[in-house]
Amino acid sequence: MTAPTLSKPAPNPAPRPDGELEKLEAVWRTQSGWRFFSSVNNTNIGLLYIATALLFFVLAGVLGLLIRLQLAVPDNHLLGVETYNQVFTMHGTVMMFLFAIPVVEAIGVYLLPNMLGARDLPFPRLSAYAYWAYAFGGLAFFCTLFVGLAPDGGWFMYPPLTGTRYSPGLNADFWLLGIGFIEISAIAGAIELIVGILFTRAPGMTLGRMPVYAWAMLVVGLMIVFAFPAVIAGTALLELERAFDWPFFIAERGGDPLLWQHLFWFFGHPEVYIIFLPAAGMVSTMIPTIAGTPLVGRRAIIAALLGVGVFSFGLWAHHMFTAGLGVLEMSFVSAASMAVAVPTAIQVFGWIATLWKGKLTWNAPTLFLLGFMFIFVLGGLTGVMVAVIPFDWQVHDTYFIVAHFHYVLIGGMVFPVFAAMYYWMPLVNGNRLSERLARWVFWLMFAGFNIAFFPMHLTGLLGMPRRVYTYAPEMGWDGLNLLSTVGAFMFALGVVLFAVDAFRALRRPERAVGNPWNAATLEWLPSEDYGNRSIVRVNSTNPLWDEPALTREVEEGRHYLPHTATGRRETIATSPVAAEPRYLLVLPGDSWLPLVGAFGTSAFFLLLTVKLYALAWISGAVAVGAVLAWMWESDRPPPEIEQVEAAVGEHLPVGALGRASHSWWATVIMLVVDASIFASFAFAYVHVSMRLMVCPPPGTELPPLSQALTSCGLLVLGSLLVWLAKRALDKKGNARRLPWLVLAALACALASFALDLQGWRAGLAPSESAWAAAIAALASYQGLHIVLLLVLAPYLALRAWRGLLDRRSRATLDNIALVWHYTTLQGIAAVAVVRLMPLLME
Amino acid sequence: MATGDHKEGFWKRVLWAALPLLVWIVHFAFSYGLAAAQCSPVGMRPGGPDRLVLAGSTLGAFAICALLAWRARQVLSRQGSASGLADRVALLLAVLALIAIAWGGLPLLLVTGCA
Repeated sequence: MTAPTLSKPAPNPAPRPDGELEKLEAVWRTQSGWRFFSSVNNTNIGLLYIATALLFFVLAGVLGLLIRLQLAVPDNHLLGVETYNQVFTMHGTVMMFLFAIPVVEAIGVYLLPNMLGARDLPFPRLSAYAYWAYAFGGLAFFCTLFVGLAPDGGWFMYPPLTGTRYSPGLNADFWLLGIGFIEISAIAGAIELIVGILFTRAPGMTLGRMPVYAWAMLVVGLMIVFAFPAVIAGTALLELERAFDWPFFIAERGGDPLLWQHLFWFFGHPEVYIIFLPAAGMVSTMIPTIAGTPLVGRRAIIAALLGVGVFSFGLWAHHMFTAGLGVLEMSFVSAASMAVAVPTAIQVFGWIATLWKGKLTWNAPTLFLLGFMFIFVLGGLTGVMVAVIPFDWQVHDTYFIVAHFHYVLIGGMVFPVFAAMYYWMPLVNGNRLSERLARWVFWLMFAGFNIAFFPMHLTGLLGMPRRVYTYAPEMGWDGLNLLSTVGAFMFALGVVLFAVDAFRALRRPERAVGNPWNAATLEWLPSEDYGNRSIVRVNSTNPLWDEPALTREVEEGRHYLPHTATGRRETIATSPVAAEPRYLLVLPGDSWLPLVGAFGTSAFFLLLTVKLYALAWISGAVAVGAVLAWMWESDRPPPEIEQVEAAVGEHLPVGALGRASHSWWATVIMLVVDASIFASFAFAYVHVSMRLMVCPPPGTELPPLSQALTSCGLLVLGSLLVWLAKRALDKKGNARRLPWLVLAALACALASFALDLQGWRAGLAPSESAWAAAIAALASYQGLHIVLLLVLAPYLALRAWRGLLDRRSRATLDNIALVWHYTTLQGIAAVAVVRLMPLLME
Repeated sequence: MATGDHKEGFWKRVLWAALPLLVWIVHFAFSYGLAAAQCSPVGMRPGGPDRLVLAGSTLGAFAICALLAWRARQVLSRQGSASGLADRVALLLAVLALIAIAWGGLPLLLVTGCA
């Protein structure tokens, strides 16, 4: 532990007036009874999110046990073939998409605001929407298993197996629409976390002082922004192929099944690190506490997190070594797969050095952290083995791979998450889990895991393919399989014991949380619905170790904003590098709208899948209505309050404009996601073009260049009109002309798209060739944006007519203008990509 | 209302620290893209991908990262204990990118052709 430093005087040294705390409590109070579900506060949403993710862990775990029962003995007929296919597909899909990614985001939603010293995340209603969309969509998706409609093509859903020819039922559609939609919820969460980490840290918490866990979540948020669009684009293409016969993945019509693999794994491999890095961040937070010493190599570990985040994007094709890629391409990917081991090893050595330097406390988190290191390092070593191409050719799609990725995922994520639950459980109601029972839980899980999965390396080397329904006794795999089944049930018993203990701890009466592990990070400051009584000023990397008086000062309201300055929920927005206070961020209160919006969105996708179109469109309208109603209430800073006193002599403006505003940054990040989805569609077009000998293929024709240029010109004119509308508000401060300018801009955008549509329809038949289908996909994506403008332009005009747009309330205009200009750029980029490819191939 | 950017050089710092990783991304994407294009039906090149161009790009990327590492080292020794997180991260990432680029260039010595 570092030596305590001299504390600087607190920003609000005087005693606080009576009644101030009561007002703060009233503004942030969680409603009781069924109204609890309208709560948007990060603590409540975070707990719901974690509980739901753990429910999916248990459900998918039960499916895993069914798989093990089926494989326990040779020639077993416990499950039918069809059921077995659905069970293993759902086990992988639910574990990856409904447990692993959501649980790490959920823990972030719960922990980060407190760890960063903020009262809440910057967009609480977005968090609530993301959670409810995930909960409704995920539960409905899981229920498909009970009616025999669950997907059965494996968790990575390779076509042609999942095309209509081999999967004619609705099973694959449930995966494509369900998972594609749940990914959108993950992206919403990522945007929230990135903006929260960059702009709502406690004053003085510079990037250098920011906890390593927050660094990990920042890197993960950025990875989600660039990785998830690929799978969203992939699922859209496969669904378009299944619904409209656009042959992106059908080789006979110029498509390529490998296109799916590229898109899926460009998401799928970074996803492994998206799951692992938050766990690594938690480990980097817990290890210094249990060792009682600062993290060794802290800066190197932060650099390693960044390195892993970037290198992980060069590894996608190592899942495709047997797919017939060029040998040099595979070698580049193989090299990158080994290079990523270097920054990963930096983290592991940093943790070992910290344990070595400090004095280890033996408790439940320690056991799970040591278990994590043992299992994860073994998984990493087999990872380097399968990065060697000839070795991968031997073990690809065998149980060796099943063993490898369970060592990486359970070792790298599940064990740290269990350590985290033991470590942070006291934050919920002050009660710790039983240390005695924890030893049973750990040893059952650790031994059970190794007994279950280590033999799979051997069954794999003996040739047992993954996903096999059963096997003959003469294969010699029966003893090892039986052992794996015994281990899996031991592991499950450990999880059950944990659940019993957690249930018991949560039912105990609430007690003071304190700082039970003597940790250094801010989440251990006394906290209520409003977060900390006052927003702490941070002076070091390990504030609770370095400033022993901090807890008392914060609790006495001697730091920033110990009250509600505007009578609403608020937090302080700070600058991204030095965390200097910039403005008072007014937060929205509880509302049913995110829940209704999420319900409508989930229902829209699920009803669309089962072809109940009328009901689907009604649900879609409900979703759009709820989101617009929620937006309508936003962007209204409190009248008459231009600035507030956050601390003695420190006045902060209320709200921010343009690039200073957190909502501007969130919109920009959303547009980066948007551009990444567009880039994935463009990649699909380039990929299918490169399979051609002549481009455009015979029988297809691009519209005249003059028509394309006119369309681009109309888009530019529309953007120009929006720019003029913004300028009118900037210069004159009134929005009288604004609605007409925006509606004229909309007319330009609609005319541009009508021109595009007319041109494409004349010379391209998307069901004839993958090349034409890829262009149609690009055009459809542009069309989706035009539809979005069709909603946004009248909404903006209505706000202007109702007097809700002025110099202070203009975030709506600024953000819609960003979307508008992006749509213009995307339209021009689509024309450029489509026109350039035939020229390059001439 | 707060307006405009806070003058603390956020993007400058991010770019300074992350530049080696950007060099790695460009090098990797160029190498993979060129190899894929020169092994595609329409762009098939006799003898496989152009290893001279690939070797040149690898040496170029390596040299840029070496330069970035050297510059980061200079900044650190000039500033001593006053150096910030961005400077240290810049050095570490330059070294990581150097290793990854060198390792990624090795197949050029070992592999020929497309299949």
